[in-house]
Amino acid sequence: MSAKAKFTNALIIAAVATLSLSSAAAQSDKIKTESGATPKAAGGADAKSAAGDVLDRSKVLRAAADALGMLRWSDVGAERTRLPAVDVVNRMEIWGSGTSYGFGEANKSGVPGPASKIEYHVALGYNPPAMRVEMTRASTGGTQPAEGTPHTIQTVRDNYAWNESESGAGLEPGRGTATPVMAAVRERLLQLWILPYGVVKAAIAAGDKTKVSSENGATIITFPLSGQLAGVTVRATMDARSFVTKVETETNNPAMGDLVMEADYSDYADHGEILSDLKSPGHIVEKQGGRQLLDIQVKMADLNNPYLVFPVPDNVKKAAAQEPVAVKGDATR
Amino acid sequence: MNYFASNRIIAVIAALCLLPGAVMAQESPRVLRTTNSPPTPSGPTPRTPAGHPDLSGVWDGLRDNLLGPPNQMANAGIVVDGVTSTRDLFSGAQIATFPRNTNHVQNYEEDERAATLLRRMGSNRPIYKPEYWAMVKELDANANEEDPANNCMPAGVPRVGIPSYIGQFPTYVIFIYPGLGGLIATQTSYRMIPLDGRKHTALQDLDGTYNGEAIAHWDGDTLVVDSWGFNTSTWFEQVGGYFHSENMHVIERFHRDGNTLTWTATVEDPDVLLEPWTMTPRVQLLNPDPKAVLPESLPCSERDLAHTVTKEHH
Repeated sequence: MSAKAKFTNALIIAAVATLSLSSAAAQSDKIKTESGATPKAAGGADAKSAAGDVLDRSKVLRAAADALGMLRWSDVGAERTRLPAVDVVNRMEIWGSGTSYGFGEANKSGVPGPASKIEYHVALGYNPPAMRVEMTRASTGGTQPAEGTPHTIQTVRDNYAWNESESGAGLEPGRGTATPVMAAVRERLLQLWILPYGVVKAAIAAGDKTKVSSENGATIITFPLSGQLAGVTVRATMDARSFVTKVETETNNPAMGDLVMEADYSDYADHGEILSDLKSPGHIVEKQGGRQLLDIQVKMADLNNPYLVFPVPDNVKKAAAQEPVAVKGDATR
Repeated sequence: MNYFASNRIIAVIAALCLLPGAVMAQESPRVLRTTNSPPTPSGPTPRTPAGHPDLSGVWDGLRDNLLGPPNQMANAGIVVDGVTSTRDLFSGAQIATFPRNTNHVQNYEEDERAATLLRRMGSNRPIYKPEYWAMVKELDANANEEDPANNCMPAGVPRVGIPSYIGQFPTYVIFIYPGLGGLIATQTSYRMIPLDGRKHTALQDLDGTYNGEAIAHWDGDTLVVDSWGFNTSTWFEQVGGYFHSENMHVIERFHRDGNTLTWTATVEDPDVLLEPWTMTPRVQLLNPDPKAVLPESLPCSERDLAHTVTKEHH
């Protein structure tokens, strides 16, 4: 065979090889794009390591975050940048209605207090940690009269807790009253961190201290809280879709008994008027020390990091300087 | 057709089959940045005969800072340092970061919804007076109809961001902001800013404009541009519904370090804000080509808004 013929044959062999490799690569890509596009596939059943039974903490937390839609990226106008997935949840608002329960007979565990039909509105943020809970009592539904005023606004931010006579009270002369409630800081912060997003954020932040396990087919995440809530342990139960369905807190410190909470979450959906692909629970039930506290049906949520701010009024800052955060129940609830 | 003739045809086909691979091999591998960290300065900072830093140049090394979420996240103070690390510059908070879920290919709607969240997740926000909180939220939620920069209106100062071109002269500076489209369909705009020690015109003698009346001075090696005399037809940030009054006062600071330009803007507006607000510093990179020129701006033509059927927006 001449040199020219040898070159021609070599070229043909190279082309065939190239085509084969291209085809294989294309098939590989096809496999990649077709395999499991659901959050469940990203975590869920895959959250078990090759060993079979031992749950992989990172995969479990990833699956929980993906189920809620927390980890996101976007290539709109990204050009040569491909950023990783980041936790996009910071600020949100939730509107609902339901029942609030006051303190029952001698505050006995398991004994429901007087019930009030309420309209519920919560505005919250995780950076900085802050929450403004607004409840409007419509009527009493129990056998005892409703406690408290018809309309309450309970706010917390970092190390400050206060009640507002109106949203933003105490920030400008003549605009309402801000009443410091330093004793409520921990309890109100806990409300923030036992929401599904708070659970996932805090569990990720706890790093190696977060443990995952499997009980009766359900995945359990256990981790300690930190900062103001040090001493509180959170135990969260996830369903087969990796949604947080139950959160329980416990503490070994008897002085922190008011921080023993329980919350149930169900009916997850994107409740936004402007869709965000973030899921929020449609039904929220909270208990404190075994006593029913809240039962809320969510009507709407704005999860698109809306404009929400929680500036601390000067009189609250002054009060905080004189009164360190105490571990007491929130008597203003 | 003889053996060699047929083989020549096959060889030509074979060569064509190999061509894409060869072309791909010649292109540098497509390196996709996984961070949006501010660029590290390099090179000397040139100076004018008067001894001031020379800010002249084409400042578009990171492309249009109105464009995609990576730049907008950086503008909002969200710095992605790598595939497992993100932080909020303003608060210092660490933000959970994971590799992309490669099993999930996002469609356009998912990309846009994610971008809406990513652009707003930063902690550094102006604090409005409480009576305006609901208004700001509503403006942002209804930005498709409410954003004054839609329909090719000027972005105004300081929303317009870092100029893509600065021409520095002893007694004035020229800023040019090409209308590159991007997040909002804005016009090209320019500013000619005196640097001769003059004072502001009294506010009551000014007719409000989109960019206001600007004067500049040097504060050490930092160029300070002081503007007032605005109309109320702009928002002062790219997203968020951040409206302002005609009494807005904006102080911009430009600092060059080698091939980087750092810009911050402080907005004072006691009519609507509880306190002055300073944006997270933004850093732009000098175009590495010393012969770089600004491209011609695309004509601004807004054709989408009339067809929107939901409130989803940038």
